[in-house]
Amino acid sequence: MSSSHILKKDHLIPLLRKLGKAYRLVAPMQNRHGDTLFAEVASVETMALDLDHQPQESLKPFLFPQQEVIAAYEADQAGYALHPRYAAPPPTLYFGVRSCDLAAILYMDVIFSQRTREPHYLGRRHNTVLVGLNCNAPFPNCFCDATKNGPFSELGADLQLTDLGDRFLVTAGRAQGETIVSRWPQFFSAAEEAEIKKQYQLYLEARGGFQRQVHVDLAIRRLAEGMVDEAVWQQLSLRCQDCAGCAYVCPTCTCFTIVDQPRSATSGERLRCWDACTFAGFTRMAGGHNPVEPKKAAIKHRFLHKLKYDVEKHGRPSCVGCGRCLDICFGGTDIARFVELASEE
Amino acid sequence: MAPQLPFINLLAQPGGRRRQDLGSFEYSYQAEITNVYPLTKAEKLYQLQLIDPEERRRFSFLPGQFVMLELPGIGEAPFSISSSPLHHGDLELCIRDVGNLTHFLSRMQRGARVGISGPFGTHFPVENMVGQDVLLIGGGLGIVPLRAPLFAVLENRSRYGRLDVMYGAKSPADLLFTYQYDSWRQFDVNLAITVDRPNRGWRGATGLITELLKERIAKADFQPATSFAIVCGPPVMFRFVCALLTEAGLPMQKMFVSLERRMHCGRGKCCRCNIGATYICLDGPVFDYWTVMNLKEAI
Repeated sequence: MSSSHILKKDHLIPLLRKLGKAYRLVAPMQNRHGDTLFAEVASVETMALDLDHQPQESLKPFLFPQQEVIAAYEADQAGYALHPRYAAPPPTLYFGVRSCDLAAILYMDVIFSQRTREPHYLGRRHNTVLVGLNCNAPFPNCFCDATKNGPFSELGADLQLTDLGDRFLVTAGRAQGETIVSRWPQFFSAAEEAEIKKQYQLYLEARGGFQRQVHVDLAIRRLAEGMVDEAVWQQLSLRCQDCAGCAYVCPTCTCFTIVDQPRSATSGERLRCWDACTFAGFTRMAGGHNPVEPKKAAIKHRFLHKLKYDVEKHGRPSCVGCGRCLDICFGGTDIARFVELASEE
Repeated sequence: MAPQLPFINLLAQPGGRRRQDLGSFEYSYQAEITNVYPLTKAEKLYQLQLIDPEERRRFSFLPGQFVMLELPGIGEAPFSISSSPLHHGDLELCIRDVGNLTHFLSRMQRGARVGISGPFGTHFPVENMVGQDVLLIGGGLGIVPLRAPLFAVLENRSRYGRLDVMYGAKSPADLLFTYQYDSWRQFDVNLAITVDRPNRGWRGATGLITELLKERIAKADFQPATSFAIVCGPPVMFRFVCALLTEAGLPMQKMFVSLERRMHCGRGKCCRCNIGATYICLDGPVFDYWTVMNLKEAI
């Protein structure tokens, strides 16, 4: 059961101060270049909390770092030993997580726990508290209504915040959220019927505020029926510059590569790094044979994975409509462009 | 100096980690290269032995499964096991010197230590083939994964019907395991070998492997109803061989093929071996032909 509370905006910083003592606190902050990024809060007093802009990166780098040591090895004439290394982060609270990023985390949970459990991600995830923030006004490139996980989130967060002007409506979704409310009750008061109604009103307004119409459903159906023309992939592959920016900012792209990094003649580390399916060497095998050979096939694989294979496998696309690939792609090979091309008769 | 990385006992950490979360993830067996046999110019047969006697006894795999071979400082790569499942932790891997890791491996001597993780993947269901005729068809390096089911059948020879091994290579110099052909024949194996480009001394068959198969199918004792086929080789070979077998009346679900893709994790996470929603490392590498036909772009 979820319960609703009111948190006055004046109480936000004192609450964060308390939370910062109990958890490692990560929140969207504006840096000195004017970019809004999730970052660890060093001091609540001096933090430049920015809840007005969409963070330019998702929480993926925190839960699934770009580069991480997964094992260390020692090898000499006498033997070879591999010692797995598991990160053990302190309990971390992520504040101000948008609905797209929450949906992406739920997707990554499935990927990393399905069939074989992956200890590095799940170890971090285990110690995670998520405080979500609903989007009252969608950002220019967002289309989370089309992927059905926004703009207001109902799943995944421990505490879900809705901005009601001078106060937040707080919905405690999971046990961790209830714990926070009951541990610091001085900041919360009971929500009234009118405030819950206002939240619903804001939800309806937010749903009408999308500036972009991306017909994800239609593209999924046309892909399932095999009706997307080959020329679409050709056109997109000509525009792709092979930078993998889309895969790196995508909150649900979890492909990785594993490399050994020697640190000395007899020892080293095994690293896990992000990879991207648009890179030419992604599927190339020893000897040069590549089953996904031309650029066109790699682009096709990328979009089919998002909108077809994951629909078959998990019942929903792995695009969460955050619009970050639209921001980053200078060639215009983003998912909105694909959906637009795929939907054309 | 070894880097002093902190050792973390996960199960004792606050917040609690379940033992099953760790499982055997990133567990690798220590192994030693006990012998290296050069087979041809590029291919060598490596005999590996797990060092710990208890692990060696416990390590078990099924014919058709693969292991990840780890070379310190180089990385890991998947290889089909080419030895009999009865030998547990005494593995044989036949590896061509073709890439980064395999080139490094080709310069390693006996006694070198490596890591083995696995086994991974699905297997050829030799247990279902009892009492039936078995056709093993391999092209080029395809004979390597075929050796595991071959040994599995040979070790229980009386329980199976007629056993045919068809093997095609580019030239007589590229034939693998030539020293074992006589011993296979002694176990009532109908071995047929063909090469594309014969040299002067070659007295066997010449041409594609489909020619051998056509001859075999034409014989009176070919009974598709009581036969199984295992096909390994380059994708182009699957297509023609399996088409011939289908034409001869062998049901598609009684033909098995082994696919290969690039892999990094072997656990369905790194996301590069998938064909559609099917992961070769978890759902494969062994598929029946019916499944492969339904996987677009598989072969």
